[in-house]
Amino acid sequence: MRVNPNPYPDLLAAVAQTQQQINTDEQQIASGLSVNVPSDNPAAAAVLVQNADQTSQADQFQRSIGSIQGEMQNADSALSSVITSLQQAISLGVEGANGTVNNADRAALATQVRGIQTQLLSLANLTYQGNYVFAGTATQTTPYVLDPNSPSGVTYAGNTGVNSVTLGSHFSLQTNLPGAQLFSASGTDMFQSIQDLINGLQSGNSIGTAVTEVSKSYNSIDTQRVFYGNALNQLSAQQTYLSTETTQLAEQQNTVAGVDLTRVISNLTAAQTSVQATLEAVGQTAHINLFDYVK
Amino acid sequence: MSSLNASLATALSGLIAEQGALSATTNNVANVNTPGYSREQAVLVASDPVVVDPLTFGTGVTLQNVESIRDPILESQIQQQSQAQGQFSTLASALQQSQANFTSSTGDIGTAISNFFASINQLSTNPSDVSLRQGVLTAAGNLATSFNTTANSLTQQQSNLDLSAVQTIGQINQFTQQIAQLNGRISNLQNVGENAGTLIDQRQQAIDQLSALVDVSVIPSDNTLTLITANGAPLVTGQESFQLQTQTTTAGLHDVYSQGVDITSAISSGELGGTLQARDQQIPAIQSQLDTLAASLANAVNGVQAGGFDLNGIKGTNLFKPPPISGVGAAATLSLAITDPALVAASSDGTAGSNGNAEAMYALSNGTFINGQSPTNYYSSVVFNVGNAVSNASAEQSASSLVLQQLNDQRASISGVSLNEEAANMVQYQDAYTASAQVITAINDMMNAVINMATLTG
Repeated sequence: MRVNPNPYPDLLAAVAQTQQQINTDEQQIASGLSVNVPSDNPAAAAVLVQNADQTSQADQFQRSIGSIQGEMQNADSALSSVITSLQQAISLGVEGANGTVNNADRAALATQVRGIQTQLLSLANLTYQGNYVFAGTATQTTPYVLDPNSPSGVTYAGNTGVNSVTLGSHFSLQTNLPGAQLFSASGTDMFQSIQDLINGLQSGNSIGTAVTEVSKSYNSIDTQRVFYGNALNQLSAQQTYLSTETTQLAEQQNTVAGVDLTRVISNLTAAQTSVQATLEAVGQTAHINLFDYVK
Repeated sequence: MSSLNASLATALSGLIAEQGALSATTNNVANVNTPGYSREQAVLVASDPVVVDPLTFGTGVTLQNVESIRDPILESQIQQQSQAQGQFSTLASALQQSQANFTSSTGDIGTAISNFFASINQLSTNPSDVSLRQGVLTAAGNLATSFNTTANSLTQQQSNLDLSAVQTIGQINQFTQQIAQLNGRISNLQNVGENAGTLIDQRQQAIDQLSALVDVSVIPSDNTLTLITANGAPLVTGQESFQLQTQTTTAGLHDVYSQGVDITSAISSGELGGTLQARDQQIPAIQSQLDTLAASLANAVNGVQAGGFDLNGIKGTNLFKPPPISGVGAAATLSLAITDPALVAASSDGTAGSNGNAEAMYALSNGTFINGQSPTNYYSSVVFNVGNAVSNASAEQSASSLVLQQLNDQRASISGVSLNEEAANMVQYQDAYTASAQVITAINDMMNAVINMATLTG
């Protein structure tokens, strides 16, 4: 049978193809990825796009949690101070309700409670990064201002709005309690109870009633403060979850597009050997033909 | 009874025939590396005998023909495979350039989409913060730029492909002209019974090269051939070639015309077919998907903007300039409608501290409003489509390369020049030549003997 007398183009094509494989292997080793362009594995490339987006979202949720944590920690510790102040007010009220206390002493106690009122006002007007924390969503408006015409001694200028922030693919967290709900709810109005205590101490009437009111406010705020404690706990739980998710996403990325180095390097070695062998074969068999022997 | 003179003539025919056969071998050896050359074979036949009653004597040998050895069926398979090879290699390399835009990197559309929504999530944590609002505008601007860059790059590739289509048409026209001329020379030679093998080789080589450029069918006829394209438009009829022409479309691209008829969509293979397929189908398909993505996203973001309030408590306005109603060109023209960060409508109740509308905008990141898919998932399906198109074209290219290589092997095993064979032939012809020369010497001796005999008797 007659064979192709010129095998060089075939040999060169084979060498070129193997060379191509070597380039691919080297690229994979260098990048650590088996999918460097979409055509390497279109389905994997599509998964990688989604994976990159999910990773980016998880990273962003972590940053957002970091931003929110500061504000919530400040709010929580402000409420802790509010509770301490209210405890002091209750003690002062109980002291003033004692029948043995004279007018001058009660006036002094009233002055102390007024000092507490100022503290509470300042705590209720807490700002964090330029925002009023207890103003609802009216964060650019001072929520509590002194108002001698108001029965509670203050006016609430905030609103009842709350914000929630998405911090996970299925997780959204309310990030604030408005002052209207926290301090000024009907029946547990903190500033009203403090004003009533001041009035009682000054007049000597209804001090016991006022102390009961302050106690109610105290209980209400102490209960609501749990919101911030819970939220902070949820935030740190979510941080843990997100870092687990990030790890899983990285694992998925590696599964989908990672390089099996052992396999690639062994392929590379085989390919190099093959090129070398082909070239040597060409070199040895190349120039022998019958013309060499015809004399 | 045969005469010595007749024997001399017979021996001479051997000398002439072997010399002619040797010239075929010489030509083969000379053309051992000529692309497309088919080896020639001397066809030796015994000359007609003479009858000198009662005997019949041979009259030597005739070099009847020097024929080129080729397989016409194989040639036509090679042409078909060259067309497929030309088509897919052009398509694969064109699409490979396109997919560079979709390789995950910091600047691709997927990353820009993720960054845009990340900036909104960050704004949600502190909606009155001007620097976070600026962050949203910057990310939105980057998103628009990334759409613009990708769309423009695809358009650039399209016009590069258009240029290469025009160049390919120029090459096609050169080949058809050359083939028509060769047709003329071949039929002239064959009409007078000459061997046109070398010219046929040249024509075959030109047809092979033409086949790599465009889908042609070869219709052979006596001494000549006709070439037609897939839709039947003639390229070469005998000695006449028909030039392909181009006309500029409204989109600034070139359509292919044959004798006044637009045959652009009928050209399906060869380099021209691959180029047109990438230019007119594959790249526009990617562009259209990007337009859908850009337009849907811009409209959705603008829609959410309109439902909220900016930093000053005023109803939100468009964040992106409204994309064209048809969506065509949306990716290339996507741009911001606002530059003032205060105008990002993060608030749902009109206060600066409300993030309700920012949350609504963030919800778009997982909203299934683009053909039932979220922005990122839609983009990932675009990446899949692009990758798949390249991968398919490359696979077809490899397959057709392999088949073409095998066919070329087969052709070479039939038509290729083997130096071993030629050396053997040379020795064979040389030996025969030497033998014929010896015979002539012997006849000469015999003649001399006869002449001397005459002298002696005379």
